[in-house]
Amino acid sequence: MATLNLTLKVWRQENAQAQGRIETYQAKNIPDEASFLEMLDIVNEELVHEGKEPIHFDHDCREGICGMCSLTINGVPHGGKKVTTCQLHMRQFKDGDTIWIEPFRAKAFPLLRDLIVDRSALDKIIAAGGFVDIRTGSAPNANNMPVRKKTADAAFDAAACIGCGACVASCKNSSAMLFTSAKAAHLNLLPQGYPEKNKRVLAMVRQMDALGFGNCTNQYECEAACPKGVSVDNIAKLNRDYMIACASEAIGVFS
Amino acid sequence: MNDIITTACKFVTSSIGRKILVALTGACLLLFLVGHLAGNMTIYGTTAEGSWIDVYATGLHSMPAWLLWAIRLGLLAVFAVHVLLALVLKYENYNARTHYQKEGTLKATLSSRTMVITGVMILCFLLLHLWQLTLNGDPANCYEHVVRGFQNPVSSVAYIVAICCLFMHVRHGVQSVMQTLGLGTRKVRPLYNIVAVLFALVVCAGFISIPLAVLTGILH
Amino acid sequence: MKDIKFPESDYMPDSCIPDGPIEQKWTKYKREAKLINPNNRRKYTVLIVGSGLAGGSAAATLAELGYNVKCFCYQDSPRRAHSIAAQGGINAAHNYQNDGDSVYRLFYDTVKGGDFRAREANVYRLAEVSCDIINQCVAQGVPFGREYGGLLDNRSFGGAQLKRTFYSRGQTGQQLLLGCYQAMEKEIGKGHIEMHPRTEMMDLVVVDGHAKGIVVRDLVTGEIKSYAGDTVLLATGGYGRVFFLSTNAMGCNVGAACACWKKGAYFANPCFTQIHPTCIPVKGDYQSKLTLMSESLRNDGRIWVPKSRETAEKIRKGEMKASDVPESERDYYLERKYPSFGNLAPRDISSRAAKEACDDGRGVATTGRGVFLDFKDSIARMGKEWIDGQYGNLFEMYEEITDVDPHKEPMMIYPASHYTMGGLWVDYNLMSSIPGLHVLGEANFSDHGANRLGASALMQGLSDGYFVISSTLPTYLTTQKPGSVTTAAPEFKEAEEAVKARIRKMMDVKGTRTPDEIHRELGKLIWEDVGMGRTKESLMDAIEKLPAIRDEFWNNVKIVGSTEGINMELEKAWRVAAFLDFAPLLCYDALAREESCGAHFRLEHQLADGEAKRDDEHFAYVACWEYKGTDQLPVLHKEPLTFDNVHLAIRSYK
Repeated sequence: MATLNLTLKVWRQENAQAQGRIETYQAKNIPDEASFLEMLDIVNEELVHEGKEPIHFDHDCREGICGMCSLTINGVPHGGKKVTTCQLHMRQFKDGDTIWIEPFRAKAFPLLRDLIVDRSALDKIIAAGGFVDIRTGSAPNANNMPVRKKTADAAFDAAACIGCGACVASCKNSSAMLFTSAKAAHLNLLPQGYPEKNKRVLAMVRQMDALGFGNCTNQYECEAACPKGVSVDNIAKLNRDYMIACASEAIGVFS
Repeated sequence: MNDIITTACKFVTSSIGRKILVALTGACLLLFLVGHLAGNMTIYGTTAEGSWIDVYATGLHSMPAWLLWAIRLGLLAVFAVHVLLALVLKYENYNARTHYQKEGTLKATLSSRTMVITGVMILCFLLLHLWQLTLNGDPANCYEHVVRGFQNPVSSVAYIVAICCLFMHVRHGVQSVMQTLGLGTRKVRPLYNIVAVLFALVVCAGFISIPLAVLTGILH
Repeated sequence: MKDIKFPESDYMPDSCIPDGPIEQKWTKYKREAKLINPNNRRKYTVLIVGSGLAGGSAAATLAELGYNVKCFCYQDSPRRAHSIAAQGGINAAHNYQNDGDSVYRLFYDTVKGGDFRAREANVYRLAEVSCDIINQCVAQGVPFGREYGGLLDNRSFGGAQLKRTFYSRGQTGQQLLLGCYQAMEKEIGKGHIEMHPRTEMMDLVVVDGHAKGIVVRDLVTGEIKSYAGDTVLLATGGYGRVFFLSTNAMGCNVGAACACWKKGAYFANPCFTQIHPTCIPVKGDYQSKLTLMSESLRNDGRIWVPKSRETAEKIRKGEMKASDVPESERDYYLERKYPSFGNLAPRDISSRAAKEACDDGRGVATTGRGVFLDFKDSIARMGKEWIDGQYGNLFEMYEEITDVDPHKEPMMIYPASHYTMGGLWVDYNLMSSIPGLHVLGEANFSDHGANRLGASALMQGLSDGYFVISSTLPTYLTTQKPGSVTTAAPEFKEAEEAVKARIRKMMDVKGTRTPDEIHRELGKLIWEDVGMGRTKESLMDAIEKLPAIRDEFWNNVKIVGSTEGINMELEKAWRVAAFLDFAPLLCYDALAREESCGAHFRLEHQLADGEAKRDDEHFAYVACWEYKGTDQLPVLHKEPLTFDNVHLAIRSYK
């Protein structure tokens, strides 16, 4: 088992109001089998023993599904290896590397401490319309409504989003289009979500705009950074659906 | 009626609505580029009375004034919407962002990242271009005017640089239009990319050929 | 070795199981249950702690009904609760496959899978509502796997003889949770749920014997706050991280459940902890968590260790590759011991067999705690493409984590703590022994007995949240005047002060060891002594050593930072302290249960062939433990289990 010695350039900021700065740490004897977050655990353990405050970061499941971990590594959210930060392993790095670790940055994601940001804006987009408005207990038999396998698969591909916010953090414009479009596409594609399609699209897009995200310029940086491979096809679909929804709202066609 | 106005207002203030307007106006401008290039290519044709381009330019100017001005104002409006909305979107995008100490890029092309820069360069060039050829030109002596203009290497180089900016702008613009108008899918996106590059190459090569032809003496 | 005599009490709260034949209990209950007028529902405040499948579905459903819901979770969004990590699927008795499934069969399989230590009435209800869950989720837009005809597909799972498991690729938990989360966000948007993310429950507030509020810590500001309500719903998941290394999320903890236990809620069957056989083995001391590889891999992988210790030693040292071990040198121990089920033996059996092989010195992996899961034969038989079609993403995930290509070298796996069947005791209404405190999902003990079958956890969480609590909650609420208790009650102030004092006490220790180091030490001890194979000696060893670790914490923990603002060291320390309070209970229960059943395996109690030897005569009961103080033994209450509808039999998977 090889070990690595690394230089870390880490964003430190005591709280939302404080002035942030990059600090340099040496990570010594890091096993190359460790995950990126375990590497930070090791560094933190040392910091604590020295009586210093550990580097604060968000994490929970550590198996790439909860979407809580949120580090920008060398300028790319999750490090750009098509996995979440918690699934990134140190063997991806070389001995002597300098690694820049910053939070997921966007105005819509206010920083709370060090590498922890507040991504509740994403929840607000869902609350605006990212659901099927049914009551518990009123559902018909699950097999009453067949769904084409292809459609179900496409809906699943969109639903694979883990809501980590890497799309926003990687976007040069801090746009939340990939997130919003993926959830809208998931529900709009399925017959169960179809009745509310126009309403959903308008509500989600308007909420997204109101939250201060930027505008998509079709650079597809989001898709490249997405640990779940959510496709920008969803963005095209949302653009399409938005036009239809506006037409429906304004003049009643397509409704 | 109220619904229409309310929705229209919401549409033109929404992110997607404005993007769609930028895309639609951009598509119009792409068509204009094609037409303009076709017109410019007449410089390579000669008749007994002189260059085709002189005939073409005279023909353009002999249109009824109302039609000429309608086309001009229409183009101006399209252009203004494209530029203004693009700048507003850019301003918002800039404000939505917090910058990284170390920036990284995975996929965004250089042309996509420099759309505003190339766009503004094109705008500046366009003003110069209009001033030089539309305001101070004589349609009957268009050929001579163009050739004389490009014999000045400074003019030629400036023109070539501007067209290179146009290349960058169009290269991202074409496929971006398709995506914004909701026509992008995983299957056709690579095709759009190729079309975008080819389109930009053909158009820009066409435009650049003229100063090059002048500088190399093919046109004189 | 001296014996521990646990104080016992004859008192046992009524489990409130309706009379009548089992098929009619739930129907009868609903027919006779109290109702609350829709206009009056909003006057009741329901506090829900946890936003996973159980808490989230309860929050959404109760808010739809009109209750005033406040929901709390420690994550930054309710969508991140650890239910999201469940891979395999969710069972339901729809019988869409026409292979003979029925509510009764699902009920029977669950009771048998739980080795006859679950309450019949609860399990039957679970099986009854299982179909409603699928209907509900599909209507929410959960993208379950489908067949080309457009109807739902099913797979077979974990020892079941029929196909009743609904799935969304390998992310069923995620998709179900998102359905639940979206329903919650819908209600949040309408103002019916007040969501408090990044908020951890620190204590339960009991007023006049009823649970009427909670004390929480705002994890962003560090502020200690109280919320009052008419009832408290606890849906805080399991305590698997008492082993430190587990497949649970880093934040999963027993803090809230432990606080309720200390306030008088009985803790039931804590020794029923499930160990999942197919996890990636431990790499080193720095390791933070274990990753589960789907159990489905056992359908086509063959599990083996070298026959000789020498070969195993060479493999551990890297002097020999697994693929170079000749067939004659391999011991396919599961196939050898359990010829009919082979590599598909239930979780507890295959976990224990792996431990035995490693204890015998034939384990692989650098630590010696690992066995091989080999796809060589399947690849040779079915082709690489077919295998990739079945397990492609799992193979990629394995290679990503270990840097070993499972096409070429066998996978290495080892059991790890995964799920806890034990939890706070609840009656048929899901109410604990503290009136007003309801417990849902993994946090309660009710449905899985001594062992949980695959694809049952999601079913239970959603059943409790969507369909059970909405019917049973009025039974309690109608006895209460809405809004009768506010945070002005002195009990709130008292509880807040106690929490603050405890925080201050741990912050003031200013010792030398980090919370993680102490947690790791605790986990190691519990894993060694109270893990897969338990003996009286090992349990006594743990019971003797635990106080020292607890003292170490309270005398030598080092928590840097302050109580204000985000302080993840303090969060960890708080959770470790709860695990330290809880760990002895786990040992006591395992010690008191002098039998082997399901996941609880006492080496003293096994049949000649190494199977679990259940003792129905003496231990067919739910062990409910009442807290009596840190240094006191808890009091044991017994809820007898009767089986009128299934025949008590020895589980046989041979």
